[in-house]
Amino acid sequence: MMGIFHIIEYDFRNFFRYKWWLAGLISMNLADLFVMAIVYNKMVDPELARQIMGYFSFFAPGVTILGLFASAFMIGREVNMEVRREIHYYMLSLPLSRIELALGRLLAGGLRGMMYMSPLLLTTFAFLGIPSPFQLLIILAALFLLAMGISGLSIAIAVSTSSFEKFVTARGLVYYVLFFCSTIFYPLSLIQSLGEEGIMPQPLVTLAAINPLSNGADIIRSFLLGIPAFTLDMVMNLALFSALFATTAIFAYMKIIQRT
Amino acid sequence: MFLRYKFLIVMRAIWFIAQVSFFGLIVSRLVVFELKGIYFQYYVAGIIIMMLYSVSVFIGYDIFEEAEHGVFEYLLSLPVSRKELVLGRSIGGGIRSFIFVGPLIAIALAIVGVTQIMNLVIALSALFLFAFGASGMSITIAVALKSGDRFDILMGVLNALIIRLSTVMYPQVFIEDASNVYAGIANFNPVTFASDLFRWGVGIEQYLTMTPLLAILGIVAFFFVFTFVGVTVYERRLEGGGWK
Repeated sequence: MMGIFHIIEYDFRNFFRYKWWLAGLISMNLADLFVMAIVYNKMVDPELARQIMGYFSFFAPGVTILGLFASAFMIGREVNMEVRREIHYYMLSLPLSRIELALGRLLAGGLRGMMYMSPLLLTTFAFLGIPSPFQLLIILAALFLLAMGISGLSIAIAVSTSSFEKFVTARGLVYYVLFFCSTIFYPLSLIQSLGEEGIMPQPLVTLAAINPLSNGADIIRSFLLGIPAFTLDMVMNLALFSALFATTAIFAYMKIIQRT
Repeated sequence: MFLRYKFLIVMRAIWFIAQVSFFGLIVSRLVVFELKGIYFQYYVAGIIIMMLYSVSVFIGYDIFEEAEHGVFEYLLSLPVSRKELVLGRSIGGGIRSFIFVGPLIAIALAIVGVTQIMNLVIALSALFLFAFGASGMSITIAVALKSGDRFDILMGVLNALIIRLSTVMYPQVFIEDASNVYAGIANFNPVTFASDLFRWGVGIEQYLTMTPLLAILGIVAFFFVFTFVGVTVYERRLEGGGWK
């Protein structure tokens, strides 16, 4: 068990080495919220604005999820680098079991995401209101599941790509599909209406509905804005996503680092 | 050298497709009535400028890679003056951005359409200067800082603000409505000049911030400032030694 904590500590130390990258990410997230969202607030159709409680309020939970995703995904970059530079032989030489090593990496990725996301979540609370302790607990549990799933997804991609270029390309594809085909920037009703008109392919509409990023953002919105209504399906989707990618990542990581 | 970054090209192409086919399309349904019929085309034109800017400033990262591998000292040892070197890098950076963004401009033109060929030619010519200026700005900052970390953070913040505080994504009238400070910055932002000019070139003239002539003058000023400031900084920072 202590081995897992050592790995988490190792990954947290690495995380703070990227302070420049983190500062850039923070400034982008804040610019999205305090410039882009404020201007869009004035541009959104008044009828729709009433439904979503104003664009700024709608987008604040979205930007929290954006930050969580980008920071939790960073673990994949490090794992990919370690595999390419064969640093994993050093990791294997440590007095830790393979499962401790894999679990430590996965947990570290998720916890780093939670840590980075916290100020953004607090900013969201500052503008949208404070949830009740029970709601806060659900929000944090849901975001933790999301962070673990993202960390798992990123590790799974990292160990299945042989070069940094392939990893970055795969990461870009996953980023953009999950970001834009979600309810981070716009409500699901708009995506569904494009689907009904035949403009947006139906599989993409379904993806937007079950996208874990949509569920993460919508859970925060449901407690702070009252829209959309909270359902257990949202948490179930996140739990499924988290379980699927955490398991895949653990087995893929253990298999890859033991490959000779 | 730029063609080595195949992954960057693929990434940017994916980003462009995602921006146009998801964000642009969906947000065009989100906006107020008077923008509904035009916003998708407006956004596609803006995305081209966003892409042109981000690819042009990439040359700063090349400079750090060269410095890391000692290529910088080799370039300084060549029988070319510092002025020629920085001018060549700026122009090279601008041209390669155009080579990369060219196919995407063609796609954007197919989506948006062109009404006045002459306007488009004028706009594209001015955008060349914009790309040279953006490359020059990136080189200036890279050489002035001489630190990859500091450059990374400054460019991250600058990119986040310069794009969002411009008319790339939204017309000036809505920025004014949101904040006079933001509108004031957007008015003097070279990215605003470029996006206004490109929109004028393709015939989206409904929400222009300024006259095309003013936008051209703004881009010319941006180009001259950063080319000449770039030359000066380059000479001062590197005279009597190399990168370190």
